[in-house]
Amino acid sequence: MWEGIYLGVTTAVMPFNLLMMFVGCFAGTFIGMLPGLGPVSAVALMIPVTYGLDPSSGIILMAGVYYGAVFGASTSSILINAPGCSSTVVTAFDGFPLAQQGKAGKALALAAYSSFTGGTIGAIFLVFFAPMLAKVSLSFQSSDYFALMVLGLTAVAAFAGKGNILKALMMCVLGLMLSTVGTDRSNGVERFTFGSIEFIDGLSFLLLAMATFALAEVVMSVMDRKTAAQQNQVNNTSSLGSMKLSKGEVKQVAPTMVRSSVMGFIVGVLPGAGATIASFLAYGVERNVSSKEEKAKFGKGSLKGLAAPESANNAASTGSFVPLLTLGIPGSGTTAVMLGALIAYGIQPGPQLFVDHPDVFWSVIISMYLGNIVLLILNLPLIPYIAKLLEIPRTILIPLILFFSLTGVYLVSFNAFDIQVMVIICIAAIGMRLLDFPLAPMLLGFILGGMLEDNLRRALLINDDSMSFLWDRPLTAVIMTLAILALFGQPLLNLIRSKIGQKQQQNVFDAE
Amino acid sequence: MNIAKDRIGGLIFLALSIAYGYSITLIPIYPGDEYEVFTAKTLPTALSVLGALLSFCLLVASRNEEKSQLPNLDWIIAIKLVLLMVFYGAVLEILGFIIATSLFLFCGYWLLGERRKLILLLCSFPLVIFFWFVLTQLLDIYLAPGALIQSIIGN
Repeated sequence: MWEGIYLGVTTAVMPFNLLMMFVGCFAGTFIGMLPGLGPVSAVALMIPVTYGLDPSSGIILMAGVYYGAVFGASTSSILINAPGCSSTVVTAFDGFPLAQQGKAGKALALAAYSSFTGGTIGAIFLVFFAPMLAKVSLSFQSSDYFALMVLGLTAVAAFAGKGNILKALMMCVLGLMLSTVGTDRSNGVERFTFGSIEFIDGLSFLLLAMATFALAEVVMSVMDRKTAAQQNQVNNTSSLGSMKLSKGEVKQVAPTMVRSSVMGFIVGVLPGAGATIASFLAYGVERNVSSKEEKAKFGKGSLKGLAAPESANNAASTGSFVPLLTLGIPGSGTTAVMLGALIAYGIQPGPQLFVDHPDVFWSVIISMYLGNIVLLILNLPLIPYIAKLLEIPRTILIPLILFFSLTGVYLVSFNAFDIQVMVIICIAAIGMRLLDFPLAPMLLGFILGGMLEDNLRRALLINDDSMSFLWDRPLTAVIMTLAILALFGQPLLNLIRSKIGQKQQQNVFDAE
Repeated sequence: MNIAKDRIGGLIFLALSIAYGYSITLIPIYPGDEYEVFTAKTLPTALSVLGALLSFCLLVASRNEEKSQLPNLDWIIAIKLVLLMVFYGAVLEILGFIIATSLFLFCGYWLLGERRKLILLLCSFPLVIFFWFVLTQLLDIYLAPGALIQSIIGN
């Protein structure tokens, strides 16, 4: 392992890679800060830029953009109450009240320290967990992979929120359906191309990601009069107040940061759960364990309430790299985009990555750690200036973001037809958003579709066309059971709880 | 506008699953494939059945759904932006990168309410030329000049 760490450090500290890390963190912070654009869009926007780089540098740049964007999203949550992405919605609960009290500087500094703690603890865990899991996963067979992908898809649906499980599952299916468009990889048959040569290669992942996350998000933010009005009334960002934290305050939030980071990492590792769930969970737990008077402060500018989600979402962002690097299964929308980029480089993430491309594997892990340091030294002194970017009028920003999204896709394919396809997908994505259908599961379904089909085909071939591998092979059976539990666990628990509740009520009634 | 979101979503998805299922019949199959368990049609068939089943479940679950209010949305600006993007896609290869993109940005700023002439001009043409310079001269990416320009200048 030490050899690997050494290799990772030497790759990550190469001057060009360090530059990429700085550029990534800065660009990520900037893009993440724009309301409506989160880490997924930020990483997607970077893909065309990274095509000219070698894989290690490219992935270091994207990793930098990722955690830069998570931090940038927190900045807009705190300063203008407009979260850049769903994982920083919780940050606004206490961050924005702090800013209103004139403590914006303190809130931003605390967010930076919390992100740093979360990212660092996450990176340390990643150093130990990822190689361990990578070694174990070398013994995985195609049936296990198939089961893991089913688990990833059901998990993302299960964590979609109450009442949304069905819709998230439908979106997974839609993503899988879209992944079948184009030439079948195993026997060369054209599927759903309707005779058009434009679809022979299938839909491009970048196109889908940009259209659903960048274009649709931006058009939605323009349509929504409430957000538009909110963003036009940007606070005066020139007076942020002091950025210093007192000793007492540090003492108060330190345990919160550690607790939330560990929890965030664990949640992040689970496929499909991601940073949003981690931040909500950490906030909830912290509120529950707080004293009564501290509890009353939550939502009104509590430091703990800000530190918890910030640590958790950064640790979870790092944690989500574990399934990506070791199993080749993205744990979140952003890692799904990165998976697409890695595949475009000709690198297949998974257990073999550890063996075939140890430089990529380790440099990503080490750059995670270095990136957090960069983020801290870059962002803390620059916050007052970066915050000025929020004052750029939307009338200028929005056309520019649209232009970068459209050109990003065009510069990869050089086919103007793709722009029209993007617009169609963007319209569909807006419709889905309005009907409350979550879009991340679709992206996950799309990226896993090809792999799921290949592994199922191989598993059937190995098992003489019998589906018995699902229950004959213990590992596959365990993963499938987990998938079923992920899907039906919560509704079953609710049912049991309501039955017990009814019974208790009946008993009370009988006793009376 | 009040709509029953789940019912509409369920119906659309059901129609989509059926259309997808019908299109499976158009997938050609190689001779001998009919004896295979797993062909190019297998996963799509499973997905279409699963999609229909899930939408049916959503329709059943939403039978008592109350209509909910859509947020107050500015549809006009969205339609204008979408048309602008379609226009950009249509003219990009005819007018070339610089002219098409500059026009796109200029119209985009205008549509969103920017009226300051200096900003309108500075943030469109010079910015695109700078971007074009970075792409073609620094990153060595070839951008075709556009059919119209080519026909005027000649090859």
